[in-house]
Amino acid sequence: MSVVYINIFLAFTLSFMGLLIYRSHLMSSLLCLEGMMLSLFVMMTVTILANHFTLASMTPIILLVFAACEAALGLSLLVMISSTYGTDYVQNLNLLQC
Amino acid sequence: MKVINLLTSSVLVTLLMLTFPIMMTSTTMYANKSYPQYVKTATSYAFVISLIPTMMFLHLGQDTMISNWHWITIQTMKLSLSFKLDYFSMIFMPVALFVTWSIMEFSMWYMHSDPNINRFFKYLLLFLITMMILVTANNMFQLFIGWEGVGIMSFLLIGWWYGRTDANTAALQAILYNRIGDVGLILAMAWFLMNLNTWDLQQIFMTSNENLTIPLAGLLLAATGKSAQFGLHPWLPSAMEGPTPVSALLHSSTMVVAGVFLLIRFHPLMEYNKTIQTITLCLGAITTLFTAICALTQNDIKKIVAFSTSSQLGLMMVTIGINQPYLAFLHICTHAFFKAMLFMCSGSIIHSLNDEQDIRKMGGLFKALPFTTTSLIVGSLALTGMPFLTGFYSKDLIIETANTSCTNAWALLLTLVATSMTAAYSTRIMFFALLGQPRFNPIITINENNPLLINSIKRLLFGSIFAGFLISHNLTPTTTPQMTMPHYLKMMALAVTILGFILALELNLTMQSLKFKYPTNLFKFSNMLGYFPTIIHRLMPKTNLLMSQKSASTLLDMIWLEKILPKSISHFQMKSSMIISSQKGLIKLYFMSFMLTLTLSLLTLNFHE
Repeated sequence: MSVVYINIFLAFTLSFMGLLIYRSHLMSSLLCLEGMMLSLFVMMTVTILANHFTLASMTPIILLVFAACEAALGLSLLVMISSTYGTDYVQNLNLLQC
Repeated sequence: MKVINLLTSSVLVTLLMLTFPIMMTSTTMYANKSYPQYVKTATSYAFVISLIPTMMFLHLGQDTMISNWHWITIQTMKLSLSFKLDYFSMIFMPVALFVTWSIMEFSMWYMHSDPNINRFFKYLLLFLITMMILVTANNMFQLFIGWEGVGIMSFLLIGWWYGRTDANTAALQAILYNRIGDVGLILAMAWFLMNLNTWDLQQIFMTSNENLTIPLAGLLLAATGKSAQFGLHPWLPSAMEGPTPVSALLHSSTMVVAGVFLLIRFHPLMEYNKTIQTITLCLGAITTLFTAICALTQNDIKKIVAFSTSSQLGLMMVTIGINQPYLAFLHICTHAFFKAMLFMCSGSIIHSLNDEQDIRKMGGLFKALPFTTTSLIVGSLALTGMPFLTGFYSKDLIIETANTSCTNAWALLLTLVATSMTAAYSTRIMFFALLGQPRFNPIITINENNPLLINSIKRLLFGSIFAGFLISHNLTPTTTPQMTMPHYLKMMALAVTILGFILALELNLTMQSLKFKYPTNLFKFSNMLGYFPTIIHRLMPKTNLLMSQKSASTLLDMIWLEKILPKSISHFQMKSSMIISSQKGLIKLYFMSFMLTLTLSLLTLNFHE
């Protein structure tokens, strides 16, 4: 594999780690989710452009659309939690209360 | 010829003289104490000068039209300032000016202590000017200007004491009900504009169309609104919130007859339309009976006289319905005299008893206010049609003509019953206000020594006695009255009136010493004005608003857009997830286990080719 792909793959892995390991704020995992999406987008675009795979040129845009939808979902969850507890500390979620 | 010139110039001088005090508003004359005197003098001079063209018209017998100033031509229609000086306007002008002169003199006494008396007189004069514009209008545009003008002045004058909530409500009520009638007038104007291409009365009468029901129905609606016929009548008793001179001028002699006057103006069109005549007849009959019933149990003296006005207006509509516009016009002129005088006598009584308007708290004024008593009794007798007083010449003729014409017998019966009720409530006023022992406070503020008061009522007293005779014997003959009829028909009006008097007197005397128990249903119907204001003013708006709130706000917005999909889904999910799930929400633990599993699997399962 070339250096470019390893670079982007490393970015993806780091964001993935950041999604799973965070300290107190839920917002940081959402941000890492966005980073994952960004790296996937870049990898997909570079692959398609390097291989002249024009038929799949639509795919990054579709990926962006779905990323926007899930970002909205994540933000709405954040808002729900923050309106119930006042902050988005993870230790608030120890009991399933609505 | 010089004679003809004098007629037109006299009319124009009369109308112009009325506008001088208005133009004096911006000078120091308006802030002067003698401004009311100036206005009254201007009106009396205008009356005297207006007698000249009237006498000339009665002598010559020809109609005149003044067309002054061409205002605008819209495509093929020409609008100009034009005055129609025919039978109706020529005779109405001196009558209106005479009555207004007396009322202005009266209000110099009545509104003496009011700090804004100058503004009051300005409003009265503006009202008179717009009424003159209405009466002398030769095209419908000018008539509409006068129509709206009297409506606006009525609003300003009813709400004169604007600190009082009831007065503001009554003024608004008058405007709203008049507006509904204005729609009819605009309908008629639009129809005439589109089909006859004109707003000039001469051209409208010349081009005879086949089916004139639509504009005539519009005019009838306008008359219903302005003249308080049944259906649009509650504003007239509520308009008694205004000062007594306002009630005397507007809501008895001048403004409320504008609707009837409109129908009389258009009588050449109504002659050939039987449908509209029947509707007018039935509407007038219902009005006169209903308002007479309501007048029987009212306790406010001004409201009784207001309902009496409404009943007489219904009688005028009945007269138009049997195709006698000239008789209706005669009744307008004679009615102005004694109705204005009745209001002025009520005003004298009210002021003397320290602003007491309830007849249950009056009494024994027969000896204390002799002049007012005299004029009240003469006015009531003239109203009920006592032979050879003023009302007799118009009212008796109307009843006779109705009796001998092949008309709707039900409407005729209603009119006769209403005539006897007229006598009944007149007896009630006289009995409660004048006879018996006093029921008011012993502090004596009774005084009728003021020459302003006495002269004004005296003038109208002479008018109430003699005006009928003078007017009806000097008019140009128009329609031939019915000369021969059987005895019982001739005596019918007199008989029902005497019946009403006797019945009312007997009832009042008998019930005087009995205790008043709980009111019966019939009494409540009459006292609450037939429940008409209660239903229409509260039930209908509440229904409308409730319907719109239920359908638009609740049904569409809240239920269809919010509750059906979004809220129901979220509600269902939350409830079910609470019941079903057994998680404890330890997110970091779950994420950590996920990462460990992934790393371990990637490390151990890497041995492949």
